[in-house]
Parts: sequence; C-alpha cells; structure tokens
Amino acid sequence: MMKKKFLAGALVAVMALGLAACGGSGSAKSESGAETAAAAEGGSTLGSNGSTVVVAVESGFSTLDPGYVYEKYPPLVVNACYETLFKFNGKDDAPQPSLADSYEFSEDNKTLTVKLKDGITFASGNTMTSADVAFSIMRCKNLKGSPSFMCDTIDSIDTPDDKTVVFHLNTPDSGILAKLTYASMSVLDSKVVKENGGTDAADASTKDTAQTYLNSTSAGSGMYVLTSYTKDEEIVLDKNPNYWGTATNVDKYVIKLQGDANSQMMMLSQGDVDVAMNLTDDTMAELDGTEGVATINTPTKSIGFLMMNMDKNIGGPVADPKVQQAIRKAIDYPGMRTISGSGSVTPNSFIQVGFLGNSGERPDDYRNVDEAKQLLADAGYPDGFDINLDVVSDLSLEGVAMTDFAQKVKDDLAEVGINCNIVSRAWDGGYGEDYRDGKLGFTVMYWGTDYNDPNVQLPFLPGQEVGLRAGWTADMDPELAALNDKTLNATDNDARAAVLKEIQDKTYENGPFIVLTQAPAHVGYNTRLDGVNFSDPYALDVTLINIK
Amino acid sequence: MDRVKFILKRLVYLVLMLFGMATLVFILTKMIPGDPAMANLSQRALSDPEIVAAFKAKHGLDKPIIVQYGLYILNLLQLDLGTSIRTNTPVLTELNRCFPATFELALFAIIIAAVLGIFFGVISAIKRNSVIDQIVRVISVTGVSIPSFWFALLMLYFFYYKLHIMPGPGRLSSIFSAPPKITGMYVLDSLLEGEPAKALDAFRHLILPGLVLAAFTMGLITRTTRSNLLDVMGTDYIRTARAKGVSQRKLITHHALGNALIPVLTVIGLGLGNLLGGMVLVETIFNWPGVGQFAYQSVMTTDYPSIIGVSLLIALNYLVINTIVDILYGIIDPRVRYQ
Repeated sequence: MMKKKFLAGALVAVMALGLAACGGSGSAKSESGAETAAAAEGGSTLGSNGSTVVVAVESGFSTLDPGYVYEKYPPLVVNACYETLFKFNGKDDAPQPSLADSYEFSEDNKTLTVKLKDGITFASGNTMTSADVAFSIMRCKNLKGSPSFMCDTIDSIDTPDDKTVVFHLNTPDSGILAKLTYASMSVLDSKVVKENGGTDAADASTKDTAQTYLNSTSAGSGMYVLTSYTKDEEIVLDKNPNYWGTATNVDKYVIKLQGDANSQMMMLSQGDVDVAMNLTDDTMAELDGTEGVATINTPTKSIGFLMMNMDKNIGGPVADPKVQQAIRKAIDYPGMRTISGSGSVTPNSFIQVGFLGNSGERPDDYRNVDEAKQLLADAGYPDGFDINLDVVSDLSLEGVAMTDFAQKVKDDLAEVGINCNIVSRAWDGGYGEDYRDGKLGFTVMYWGTDYNDPNVQLPFLPGQEVGLRAGWTADMDPELAALNDKTLNATDNDARAAVLKEIQDKTYENGPFIVLTQAPAHVGYNTRLDGVNFSDPYALDVTLINIK
Repeated sequence: MDRVKFILKRLVYLVLMLFGMATLVFILTKMIPGDPAMANLSQRALSDPEIVAAFKAKHGLDKPIIVQYGLYILNLLQLDLGTSIRTNTPVLTELNRCFPATFELALFAIIIAAVLGIFFGVISAIKRNSVIDQIVRVISVTGVSIPSFWFALLMLYFFYYKLHIMPGPGRLSSIFSAPPKITGMYVLDSLLEGEPAKALDAFRHLILPGLVLAAFTMGLITRTTRSNLLDVMGTDYIRTARAKGVSQRKLITHHALGNALIPVLTVIGLGLGNLLGGMVLVETIFNWPGVGQFAYQSVMTTDYPSIIGVSLLIALNYLVINTIVDILYGIIDPRVRYQ
C-alpha cells in the first residue's frame, strides 16, 4: 500500500511539473506578455509588447546616480531620464546644443559661456535654472568618483543669471562640449537632490548621501522617469508627464538586465524583448531570416592595440622603430577583424573611425610579410627573435578575450620569425600594475573611450599617459608631442579635425602603438521599431526610438 | 530535552563559527592580490591621485589592516556587514535583495531533486540490473556530469525557443510588475498579493532553471538512494523479515527505506547548501538576480565587504542545514541520539 502511495505521489509530482510546463502550450505566449500586451493595446506585430519597449542589456549597473555613472550601459538609462547641455543627436561626430540654446568660447578658450533654453522643467515640475547646472557639474567634480576626472579642466562655474552658465577652465579644452554630453554631466533637479542628501560642496565625496535615492528614482528633465530598479533584474522607465520637449510614442521601457547573448537572441526571436544589445556573431547568424527582426553590426569606439615599449631596457628588440614597422607590416588586419566580429574596422591609427577628424581605415592589403622580414634584417634580426608577449587574461574587447588577439599576433609574427611567448596574467594579478607603470615590453591591450570625443585618444601621444606607459617621452618626438596642446586649443571643429588628421598621418607608420581592430557592437531589434541604433555615448538612445 | 540542549549547543557553535569564518575570509580576501580602487575606478580616474585617495578614504581602505579588521568585527557585532564598494549599498540590503531569489529557486530545485531522486533510486534498486535500472543510471550519471550552463541553454533552446511551451529568462514576464516584497519569493508574494495569475507566471519561470539546478543533485540522490537501499536490502534483519513472509512492498517501505534515507538526507542537505550559495552560470543564463551573480560581481570588483558577506551567508546556510539534517536523523531513526 505504502509503495503504491509513494509511487503515486512521485508520479503526481512529475505529472504536475509536466502539466505546469505544458499548460503554457498555447497560452504561453499570452502569459509571457507578448501577445497579451499587443492584443490589449492593438499592437501591430505578433510578439510585440504594445506601447512598451523591452530592451535586453548586460548587467553590471553598479549605480544609476549620474554623478557616479561611468560604466558602459547605465548611460542608456541616464540619457532617458536626464538631459545634458549638449548631446550627440544620432551622429557621434560633433555635439549639438540640447539644454543649451547657444554657447561661446572666449578668445583664450578658457571661458565657455552657455545660454540655456527657455521653458525647461524637471519631472518634479520645478523649472530648470543655471543653478541646477552648476550644482550638477560641481557635484560630479566633488564626488571624486570615476567620472570626476572629466571635470578636471573646470575651475569654477558662475551663474550670472538664471539662464547663463559660465565655465571657467584652467586650460583650453576643445573636448569640453563632448564632456558636457556625458551622462555624469546630466543636469539634476538640485532642489530634489539636496532634499535627499545631495551636495555639491568640496567635501561631497564624504557628505553626499543622495546616491541611494538616485538609484531608485530619477530627478531629471528627460523624456522618461525611473519608476523602478530591481538590481540585476530590470529597470522600468515611464514617460515623464511633465516633459518639456516633444516625446516619442513609446510609453514605457523595461530594461532587462540579461547579458547572455544566446538568451537575448531567443528572447528577441520570441518577441519577449524588442532590442537585444549584446548579441554575438553566432547569435546574429541564428537570427538571419527571422521575420520581424533586423540586425545592426557597427563599430564601437573600443580598440584593441599592440604596445611596444620604446625603452630598450624594457622593450628589447621591439623598442627599435624598424622592428616596430616590421611588426606593423606582419599583422594580418582582416584576420584580426574576423576574430573581433562583423562590423569591426581597422583605423589608420588611434583616432577611431567615427570620430571627428578620423582619416580612414588601414587598407586590407597593408600586410607584406617579405617587407616585414627585410625590415627585421635591416634592424639586425635576420632570423627574428624570441620575446614575451604580455596579455591580460580576464579582460575582453567587446566580448572577445584579449588572449584571442594575443594568439593571433603570435601566429602572424611567427611567419616573419618573431617567436612570441604569451604571458597571461589577470588585471589584478599584476598585469594592471605593470601596464600602468610602463613595465611591459610588448603587450596586447584594449582601450575604451571615457567620453565620446577624439580628445580621449590624446593620451596615446608621446609624453602623455598611455604614451608614457610605452616609454614614449615627449622629447622622443617633440613635434608630435606638441599636437596635444594644439588639439586641446582647437575649439573650432574644422581646425581640430585638421590637427587630428595630422596626428594620424604621423602615427600611421610611426610609434609604439599598432591598432589591431576597432571592435563592433551587434544589436538586434524588432522591426516594429524605428530609430534603433547603437550609440557610443548612450549605448542606445531611447529618445530617438518610435513604434511604427 | 536532549534535542533542545543539542539545538542550543549548535546555536552557540554557529555564532562562534561565523566569527571564525569572518576572520578567515577577511584574512584571505586581504591576502588575494588585488586593489579595489583598480577594480572599481576607470583607467582615467586611476590617474588622478585625488580621486584614488577619496575612494580609499570613503571605503576605509586607507586605514591599517588591523584597524579595518577591528572595525569590521565591531560592525559585525551590531549585525552590520558594511557597505558594498561596488554599489555603495549596505551588504545586508544587497543580501536581503538577492537571497530570496536564490532561496526560492533552490527550494524548488531541491524538492524536484529529492522527489525524483528518491523515486528513481528506489525504482532502480527494486529493478536492479533491469532495463529500467540501466535507464535510471544513464539519467543519474547524465544529471551529475552534464555542464549546467550547457544544459541551461539546451533547455531554453528547446522548451522556450523551439517548442514555445515555457517562458524565457527572468523571474516574471514583462506584463507583470514585481510583487510587493514580503518574503522576496515571487510565487509566495504574488499569492499574498492576491494575484494568482502572477504567481503561476512566477512558478512557470521557476521550472526550467529549477530543473537545470535539480539535475546534478537528483543524480547524486538517485545513486545514493539506490546503493543504500541495496545495502540495506542485503542485511540480516531484512533477510529475517523476508523469511517471515513480509511482502516485498512492505519490506521496502516499512523496514528498508527509512534506514536507507539517512545518508540521502545528508546529500539533500549538502545539495541545498550548494544551491543556496548561488549558481553563477545558471543565474546568468536565466537572468536570475541571485546570490551567485552578486558573488561573481563582488569578486570581479574586489568588493571585500560583499565577498565576506556572501561567504558568511554561505557558511550560515551550511551550518543551519546541517543542524536541521542532524535533527531529522533522530526523527527518521530514533536510534540516533543527540550528543
């Protein structure tokens, strides 16, 4: 009897599971929200979510407080809920006035005067004034968080009247407009933030307590308001009822923090998400031919590069410019792009494709093994040499492990007689320290942009931060080193583009850096949407998306 | 009385062991190479000594290690696990957020694993060396050896992507908002909210990750049940009972299974402890905001307070579960005495 009861109980449990699973058959779509939402709201496409747009993006949102935001994807949310003085409107090359109505640089380029637009209100109903702008930017500076360095060139801010903001810079900074587009420079409702523990005082790094509040709600003037944030799960944005501008027809965003590419692909095909931000080459291929789904492969501003130390004591043979050129000629750039993924490109130098002043891409047929061998022979290494190639083991370039690029470099250089011994270490396991201290002779590394402006690449110049990591001091190439200040001074876009082009011309076949690839982003989206595009500053600019 | 004394003694041990664990984990995390500033600040921010100094001061990293330890233990005595370096939120709040998600999934998984594991184990033992036994052995070996991330993707691929009979990743479908937090377990909270449709949706979201997590423990339980039942069935008292004419069914249910289940309880307890520690890969694939994801992100950002907090939580899980298992031993087999 007991046996029967036990067996029956177990069978009932198995059947209950089965029924629960299959109970969804036929009704699964309606329960999963896809068809229900579409039907209830007269959705246009099977599997659509009505006037709600669901976005899947990788997790790792440590904060949504604009003053601290520096990770890659939180700007997607911050840009929806807050606004900045300037903005990249779909095109990433030059910032356009957003909250700013007009702006003017002083003759010495050390004062920037910005006039605000009229009639801007926050979601709270408060009117935006120049005091809010000054508060927000000084708070970011004084919080001394990751993005605070962007305020380094800002000495002080004056607000002579409610509509005028005067930035006093300690040095000319042609990238200041682009910095003012960054999520951390968002204008906050200072009254609300102060009421919740915010301060812009010099001791804000210890006294400001508004982060908890700003992690759960927003205090901006953007098209949307942050309704809820369930960490590592989802973020919900609803339309700002007091939005001063013209809103799109998307009522609500649900941001699913789901980083796995396979899961994103499946959810997109099922209509459970409308935009999948972190697809891969493989998952993009799986989506080929899926009805109602479109894909985007486009270069990001993240680059993978080879660094050869100019100090002979550290770099050994790779400190020799002839050897550097030989390596440059020996690299298989199209092969690097295959590893990097569809949509990647190879810029001529360290100013990325898509930036103001970019001079184009390195030709596919640039590789010349015979010429590389000849250069090595000229440098005194006719039989090549052995060398350690350092690589960071726990970092990736847009999802591709740095070790994959190191292996490809090793294979390419083996063809010209350079035998690389790959030395792999974790960032925290000594690699990071050695890299930052300029102790690595030959390494593969990546660089992501902190804000969307070509000036973020100036550290690669001799005498600058990254240049010095490669032992490249200003006195090694004074003419090139001088272009740093010249670029910072060029507040006129045409003039700046010209200097940036000059930098690329001078580093195309010269210097310790070889850009291997500019990595791509792979985005998939439901074709019921219009205006979906990958954006470097905001990842996805939701303020440009409409439902067809 | 013995049982009460036993539990009280265990509670004292528990507190002492937790402090021991806190000290051990504190020392270990400080010994591991890594600098929270390097892991949490951007490359450009790291070049600014003022930002680095402010970061260290904010998180108390500028103090000597012995002072950091003293402060940590002092806070721990007040049930304060410190503030997460990564999220700037109290660690207790973070654990309170992610543990219920893990607990709900782990509980579901262990129930499946226990029910199916014991069922298969008994069937397999009864039908020893038959075709059914072979099939069950294949299932249990597969369950133990299949990589969970692969199994997770496979389950999603077939049941969600191809057959459309199961919901996708996440704890709830997009049309539902999270229920008001009472226990943090969505099925229960949705029922308490009076939303049966939401509770059913939350339950359906448990099934695929639950099955994936159950597979490993189920395999272990099946094999343990089978081998223990076979051992017990070969003992003298069973032979005597059989000689006295006790039916095979009664023999198993009344005489053998109780004894065979004692080691199985240990496996179930360890399995639950293991599941409560969080499963990073399965949680990632199923977008489950549990302890595993939090632990992974904490380790990747050298977030000392969170790493210690998660370690203490895992230790606490095992200590509590082992105590419960020990108590259950006595209930299943009265010969077991509390000492």
